[in-house]
Amino acid sequence: MIEPPHPFSPSRSRWRRQRDRLATGLIALGGIVVVLAVLAIGVFLVVEVLPALLGGQLDTQRVFASLTPMAWGTLKAALWAMLFSVPLALGAAIHSSMFMSQRLRSRMKPTLELMEALPGVVVGFIAGLVMAPWVERHLAGTLTLLLLLPLGVLLAGGVWRRLSPAWRRWFSLSRAGLWLVPWLALLVMAAFALSPWLERLLVDGDLRVWLDREMGIDYASRNAMIVGVAMGFAVIPSIYALAEDALSGVPGGLGEGAHALGATRWQTLWKVVLPAAAPGIFAAVMIGAGRAVGETMIVLMASGNTALMSLSPFEGMRSMAAGIVVELPEAVPGSEAYVMLMLAALLLFLFTFLVNTLAEVVRSRLRRRYRWLGVAP
Amino acid sequence: MSAWSELASQRLPRSEGPWAWLAAGSVALSLLMLGGLLLLIAVRGLGHFWPAGVVQLELEDGRALAGRVVRELPLEQGERERLYYTANRDLDGQVWHWLAVSDIVASERPRDLLVLERRFHGEFIGRLVEVGSVDFPDPTSTATADWNALQASLAELQALRSERDRLRREQLRPLIQQLDADPRDAQARRELAAVNERVRALQHAMQGKVAILESADGRRLVQPLDEILRAWRPNAMTTGEKLTAWARGVWRFLSEGPRDGNTAGGVWPAIFGTVLMVLLMSLLVAPFGVLAAVYLNEVAHQGRLTNLVRISVRNLAGVPSIVYGVFGLGVFVYGVGGSLDEWFFSDELPSPTFGTGGLLWASLTLALLTLPVVIVATEEGLARIPVQQREGALALGATRFETLTRVILPMTVPAMLTGVILAIARAAGEVAPLMLVGVAKLAPQVPVDAEFPFLHLERKFMHLGYHIYDTAFHGNDVQAALPLVYATALLLIGVILVLNLTAIFLRHYFRTRHGYVPRQ
Amino acid sequence: MITWGNSPGWHRLRQACLGVILVLLAASARSEMPAGTLGIVGSDTMAGLMLRWGEQLSDRHPGIRLQLQASGSASAVPALTAGTTRLGPMSRPMSEAERRAFQERHGYAVVEVEVARDALAVIVHRHLELATLSLEALDAIFSTTRHCGASQAITRWDQLGVASRVGRIELHGRNPASGSHGLFLQRALCAGEYSPRLNEHPGSAAVVAAVTENRAAIGYAGLNHLTPGVKAIALKDEYGQRHEPDAEQVRGGDYPLSRSLFVYVNLPPGKAITGPEGALLDLILSPEGQRTVAGQGFITLADEVLAAQRQRLGLDVAAP
Repeated sequence: MIEPPHPFSPSRSRWRRQRDRLATGLIALGGIVVVLAVLAIGVFLVVEVLPALLGGQLDTQRVFASLTPMAWGTLKAALWAMLFSVPLALGAAIHSSMFMSQRLRSRMKPTLELMEALPGVVVGFIAGLVMAPWVERHLAGTLTLLLLLPLGVLLAGGVWRRLSPAWRRWFSLSRAGLWLVPWLALLVMAAFALSPWLERLLVDGDLRVWLDREMGIDYASRNAMIVGVAMGFAVIPSIYALAEDALSGVPGGLGEGAHALGATRWQTLWKVVLPAAAPGIFAAVMIGAGRAVGETMIVLMASGNTALMSLSPFEGMRSMAAGIVVELPEAVPGSEAYVMLMLAALLLFLFTFLVNTLAEVVRSRLRRRYRWLGVAP
Repeated sequence: MSAWSELASQRLPRSEGPWAWLAAGSVALSLLMLGGLLLLIAVRGLGHFWPAGVVQLELEDGRALAGRVVRELPLEQGERERLYYTANRDLDGQVWHWLAVSDIVASERPRDLLVLERRFHGEFIGRLVEVGSVDFPDPTSTATADWNALQASLAELQALRSERDRLRREQLRPLIQQLDADPRDAQARRELAAVNERVRALQHAMQGKVAILESADGRRLVQPLDEILRAWRPNAMTTGEKLTAWARGVWRFLSEGPRDGNTAGGVWPAIFGTVLMVLLMSLLVAPFGVLAAVYLNEVAHQGRLTNLVRISVRNLAGVPSIVYGVFGLGVFVYGVGGSLDEWFFSDELPSPTFGTGGLLWASLTLALLTLPVVIVATEEGLARIPVQQREGALALGATRFETLTRVILPMTVPAMLTGVILAIARAAGEVAPLMLVGVAKLAPQVPVDAEFPFLHLERKFMHLGYHIYDTAFHGNDVQAALPLVYATALLLIGVILVLNLTAIFLRHYFRTRHGYVPRQ
Repeated sequence: MITWGNSPGWHRLRQACLGVILVLLAASARSEMPAGTLGIVGSDTMAGLMLRWGEQLSDRHPGIRLQLQASGSASAVPALTAGTTRLGPMSRPMSEAERRAFQERHGYAVVEVEVARDALAVIVHRHLELATLSLEALDAIFSTTRHCGASQAITRWDQLGVASRVGRIELHGRNPASGSHGLFLQRALCAGEYSPRLNEHPGSAAVVAAVTENRAAIGYAGLNHLTPGVKAIALKDEYGQRHEPDAEQVRGGDYPLSRSLFVYVNLPPGKAITGPEGALLDLILSPEGQRTVAGQGFITLADEVLAAQRQRLGLDVAAP
């Protein structure tokens, strides 16, 4: 790779030094320009929004009035997405870092990361045009599913304890992530088969009628539950990947110590590993929240875009990102709508930037803590 | 960590309690959802090209229909209804029929039912009565003879059509361009007239024949043969023939442009647009990303400020893509594009040239969006290079620049490649920012053609991801477009998966080759 | 011939200038076949229609090549005014200000050619027992303001006397950037305000898809998007007259939510239209062109209207 040294000549070495200085200067210049260009986004948004808002030509009250439902909807969508994705992603991270064999984990991680590669437009299309009508027709089945899946998994655990050791080794907990898949698929089918019967038994016939009559709950076909599940699906991989890194980065000595004292793996996790990795998990959740807030196509295609301000999972909402993407191309620069959408973009930028910075700071603290514990991450 | 977990699993496992099972369940559920989604898209997307059989139905009220079942839904009181695709838009005014299952008296699959794909009014499902010339229908022909005659005439027509298209492409277009450039060119005008005459003669030859068709309920239709693109009898096809037809269908989907308001035809312009945009983007993002990473890692003073900038760049990877789209629209399209128009294209104003979304702005926006990805990946690669390598090169008398170009950068190439491929994979799936900076619903002209300057950066382009959104939400008929949306989604996922797998492979290759040496 | 153009701008400029020369030339030699590049800028609603007409035109006249830029009705006006195109398809009539701008630049008024009719249909699920709605009730369903005169808001199906459905009415409509949103707001809500419960879909097809799947839904969509999965209901005007969204009512303009689709032409008074533009308009206003209108799901024009417009443009009145 490195050529043999040339015989030295003073002029040549001067030329080399000059070239070196020149090239370094150019690289520095280029690098600074690129970095500035990337950082210019925030500056641009502030420059677009602030003078218009402070200039007094626009009715700021109206701008904020149309922004409020969008900001509300954005946070609501993110909230439901997090409610769905955080338990699943953390559960998956815990399972793969604590229980899976090294081999299986090295296969599982890229597979779950592939979920992240699924484009939002595909997930949104499935959620809006396939899942929303399906759930609308099978609302009872879907709600049964929420109950049946955890129960079914626990049932599997209970049955597993009664098995003979040979079977137990075959269906080991470290492989449970795989062999539970067909069982869950069965449960899904069972839930939809059972739901009409349950509907007749509990809510005399039709859940939606019952919800409307008894609880006064309105079910809209494009709603926060659909968006939450679809967007949750999209953010699971990023939370999972970061949380898994945090958990498996906990120095092995800690876990081994607890284990040697007779703790089960779950006890080890709960009392030792989880507290140590808590900041990393917090960072993972924050980054997931940042993604959920900014996700555009899924909300656009599945949310129904209603200007309601409720927390109900069965009602729709409107998000800032979706609003920007459909309305901005038509908005005249400088108009009220334009400033409002720019303000929405600025809010999105600030929110995600702050959340990510927080996560980054927490993660670097964590890395330092691990180093202090004596093991390189 | 792994060592003790393996040790533990060798002993007789103790009970881990319910939470461990729930954690395992969440892995299983994630896998189930991922698998289910991919399976759904793959089955629906690929199934669309299968030449499914058609049924002939007799209804309680005496009506007859022919078509294929698309879906079945429950009605109230335990009844069910089915949606049939019955085609024949010109006869019925619609292509769908919702039928209550209890209304169907009889259903069979006659072998002589024929499906035609036509240039206008979509498909036709029914029977062939005869094939003949417009003026002299032949009364003696039989159904089998006519099926063969139809096949023969269609093949003949196909030859004429490709001859005409060739003439248009190779002679007519250049002549029109020549005339556009110099309208007084009498020679070209004469030639144009001659070629026009030949094209017209070909077209006249194509228009000679008609097929007389009959729908399932006996209505007759005279169909000019030159409007028929393809004909097949799905109930009479063997599995082998169906497989061939399926493969041809997939190929047409990949190689043709959309027809009929995006409900038929293929996605070739969208594939082309996506690939071209992504290529331009990677040409922009690769050098700049590497430059910034080299600056941050090798040149800049490693102090508090550099660290701050590094963290900011990292965080920009988490900023929503739509914000980049807004930036692209405000700065590139309205700002830079508007000024370009004022300086260079003022005679075209007020209709914008660069002051509207286009290929260039879309690539630039996505390059900005993926810049953090490339910077982070390259920096990671730079950080992995052992300090000894640098020190060795410097000790041998190399300057900093020489160390960089001869030692460091060659070793970082796999990391850069990984970064660029990850950037491409991210960019290929992004739709939202493109909707602000230049994607189009239908751009029959791809941005590259034989017209000077060959690559038209100001043109709008089609994109696979946007095509999904547009067809599903803006088309004429969602139900008709749905199979194509699935197929497009499958294609997009396929492209992105391949890119991601390449990145994973490269990362793996790079780690095994250079080992893991943390920077001191 | 490529040698003296070295940037896209030069090329476009050249094309624009020479296009004009070509048109003049074509005007001087009328017997010749129209040939050349035909640039059109305008409505995206009509993109499918224009594209289909373009296909037919190049079948008739192989020497004509169509370049379509469909970026919205609003884009047609500046292009026409600046003279970069002579034909501007628009899904709404030009406003006074837009007409004035054209007149100032060219010294004569822009020529409006009606090419097809369209309407917004109010749609419900195919199995819903509802056939007619009064305009008042429609306003009471969709708006919070009730400017059309209803005394109380309608939010539940039993208020409309639909026995089989209990529960709330689910509203589906278009996003504010679309022309349909504005048309419905003006005509059906008497310029009031939409209810916040409205699901604002980014496309008409999405509205139809949502209503197809949901029995509690009501929505509005362009006629060319209707499928048998939904039912278009009739509207009763303030005089109690019932209007179905059928071809006849829409063509006559009696259906309250109907509109016209236009092509605006830059044509000096007293001149007949010729060249590729003339050939295209000739096709559009011919029975063949109108068959395409029907094929795309829009409503064809009445024969008198066709004939009158052909005469105004100086086209052969007896259509081929």
